[in-house]
Amino acid sequence: MAEKETKFLADLQSDNADVRYSAWAQGGEMDPAVLPELAKLIAGSKPGVAKAAGEALNRLVHSVGKLPSNTRRQAVVRGLTAWLNPKQPVWVRTVALRHLSLVGGEDVVAAVAPLLAGADLREEAVFCIERIPGKASANALMAAAKSVPDDFKPRLLAALGHRGDKEAADLCAGLMQSPNAEIAMAGMKALARIGVKPSVSLSAPSTGALAEWQLLEFADSTLRYAAALARQGVTAEAVKLYQVALARPEEHLQCAAIVGIAKIGTAEGAALIFPKLKSSDPKVRRTAQKAWDSLKGA
Amino acid sequence: MKNPSRRTFLSAAAAAPAVHLFDIVPARVLASPAPSDTISLGHIGIGGRGRGFLVPEAESTARKPVTTNLGGDGTRGRTPSRSVALCDIDTSRLDKAASVVGGQPRLYKDFRKLLEQKDLDAVVIAAPDHWHALMTIMACMAGKDVYCEKPACNTIEEGRAMATAAERYARVVQIGSQGRSQPAAFQAARYIRNGQLGKVGSVTCWHYANPLGDWTPDAPAPAELDYEMWVGPARWLPFNSKRTHGSFRWMIEFGGGQIRDRGAHVMSIAMWIMAADHTGPVKITATGEPHHDGMYDTPNTMNVTYEFKNPDWTLVWAQPGEPSTELQARYGAVYRGDKGTLTVTLGDGNGTATEQKAKDYVAPCDGVQVFKSPGHMENFLDCVKSREKPIMHIEAGHRVAALCVLGNVAYVLGRPLEWDPVNERVANDDEANRLLSRPGRGPWSL
Repeated sequence: MAEKETKFLADLQSDNADVRYSAWAQGGEMDPAVLPELAKLIAGSKPGVAKAAGEALNRLVHSVGKLPSNTRRQAVVRGLTAWLNPKQPVWVRTVALRHLSLVGGEDVVAAVAPLLAGADLREEAVFCIERIPGKASANALMAAAKSVPDDFKPRLLAALGHRGDKEAADLCAGLMQSPNAEIAMAGMKALARIGVKPSVSLSAPSTGALAEWQLLEFADSTLRYAAALARQGVTAEAVKLYQVALARPEEHLQCAAIVGIAKIGTAEGAALIFPKLKSSDPKVRRTAQKAWDSLKGA
Repeated sequence: MKNPSRRTFLSAAAAAPAVHLFDIVPARVLASPAPSDTISLGHIGIGGRGRGFLVPEAESTARKPVTTNLGGDGTRGRTPSRSVALCDIDTSRLDKAASVVGGQPRLYKDFRKLLEQKDLDAVVIAAPDHWHALMTIMACMAGKDVYCEKPACNTIEEGRAMATAAERYARVVQIGSQGRSQPAAFQAARYIRNGQLGKVGSVTCWHYANPLGDWTPDAPAPAELDYEMWVGPARWLPFNSKRTHGSFRWMIEFGGGQIRDRGAHVMSIAMWIMAADHTGPVKITATGEPHHDGMYDTPNTMNVTYEFKNPDWTLVWAQPGEPSTELQARYGAVYRGDKGTLTVTLGDGNGTATEQKAKDYVAPCDGVQVFKSPGHMENFLDCVKSREKPIMHIEAGHRVAALCVLGNVAYVLGRPLEWDPVNERVANDDEANRLLSRPGRGPWSL
């Protein structure tokens, strides 16, 4: 290791906080070869030293984060991936996953994906993969969603939904038929966020086993899906969904339908909104009036 | 699958069309309006800040003037409201709050249960910042209007999702940057928007530093606190009394420091006066120096410059910065135009002040008319009735929080950000864009 890095690592362990700071401020200039030593310091018992090592690591990672083409980036990523070794303390592996979520590429996913199957780091692993762009992440999450224990499947589906992975639409549609209500609703929520029609037929999850809160999520997912269809120009189906919301007794669902229909912006939509101008509910009436005004000329 | 009434879902091709979807949601489940002249409030988070929003039963119809540091000039009282539901994950707070409120408010540990309560018109969210987005979105899903404490959100994605949810359900969402409702902010806005400073080229904020924070060891969470729920969607950290209630804000991941705490007040007034609630800067440059020791990671000193285009102006957040020479205060902002300057001190509580020339200014009849808030909570309650946008509506709240978030991102990454305020993305910076959102944890996801 070069003299600069040796001094850097020594200064990080100084008893003087100002010396430690001077060292950590230079973290972005260090050779990624310091990473194994940084792991030891981060896991150490001295909080001031662990903080200095953590801050130095932040700077090293951020120094390579801007562009994927950065040549030092691969060295940093390799160094962090080595921290995932099961012999490392859980905290060190956690720190590595959090940083890899920011600078890891598709090549990292293969190293992280096996952690989705273990109890101790699966939450950090999905956090990491969820943030890494690309199909490798989507594929890893979809594969794991078929094999992990049921209690973790909703988390993986949430990650797919959050990412908007279109290739997961069929998987989500299939899991909506799960007898496990948590999984079925997670599939529905994810599909609504992905917002594309799956190639398989769709059936709603059974509502019998859903908690009251999940039924609100059910309605919300329907509205999100309708909005997605409308954005894609599948307006007839979107309007059908909104029409049912419009007929519901709950004022906020009526309002949501009015807002959604108004965004589509057709004369047919205006005709659906028109009766709501005389709604007995003031919230519905005001929402309809605003929508009506926005539709002038439609 | 026991449900015989399950319908085909979302398939246009299906014989049973998707329009049956809602039919399988029992009406009993979803919110119904609580028609009354008195607005029923549920409170999520009733610690320090949240306690100030409680409406005692005896005052629910009193139209009592504002007393809670929320602006207004005291010339009118509050629209009748009452606190009928309280929620906190720290049970030690629930009984105390219930005794303050009086009557028989329903008490909850899980905010989702509170949101299921049918007779609530609106909720007041004063939970830690990392919960604001999910709670606001879920309240909208349950048909509630929302008063949510500032800053609106912890990430750009969260803020956009909040605005989308409010729009989707046509809900009223007010963010608690109450500085806009202070009389001094109104006077400054009226003065500046009517051209008394000429073209404003810069707004420079000053504020004292973030605290150091000694080393306090992690420890088991106290029995009365549901710490798992406290962490919620954020990254897991062991319990530590010095980064939980109140002090969470000195961790970038949780509260973001002064720039997000007070910045959401001081810069809120700047965005309002500069009519920039719908947009954002195009470049953010940040420098700063952290404390060299201690458990907090928010910076000691900090200087963030935001460059706006069309019109061109610059906003600066500086810790400590240069205090105004016109008015004394621990924090505030100086507005500089080509015809003069104006100071607005503080920007949050009722001590907010501006210079005499702005107080004395009378706008001409054909001048720019500036909305004068009757008080931040009064304005919110008015809008619950009228369905109009409140003065710190969620889009504005998101845009202000975006300043705070982006300032921290630029500081953390140590490089300038080229920001696209329309698409809300950073140009040519992979890592910065990944930091614009944060995956959830456990069952908590956007």
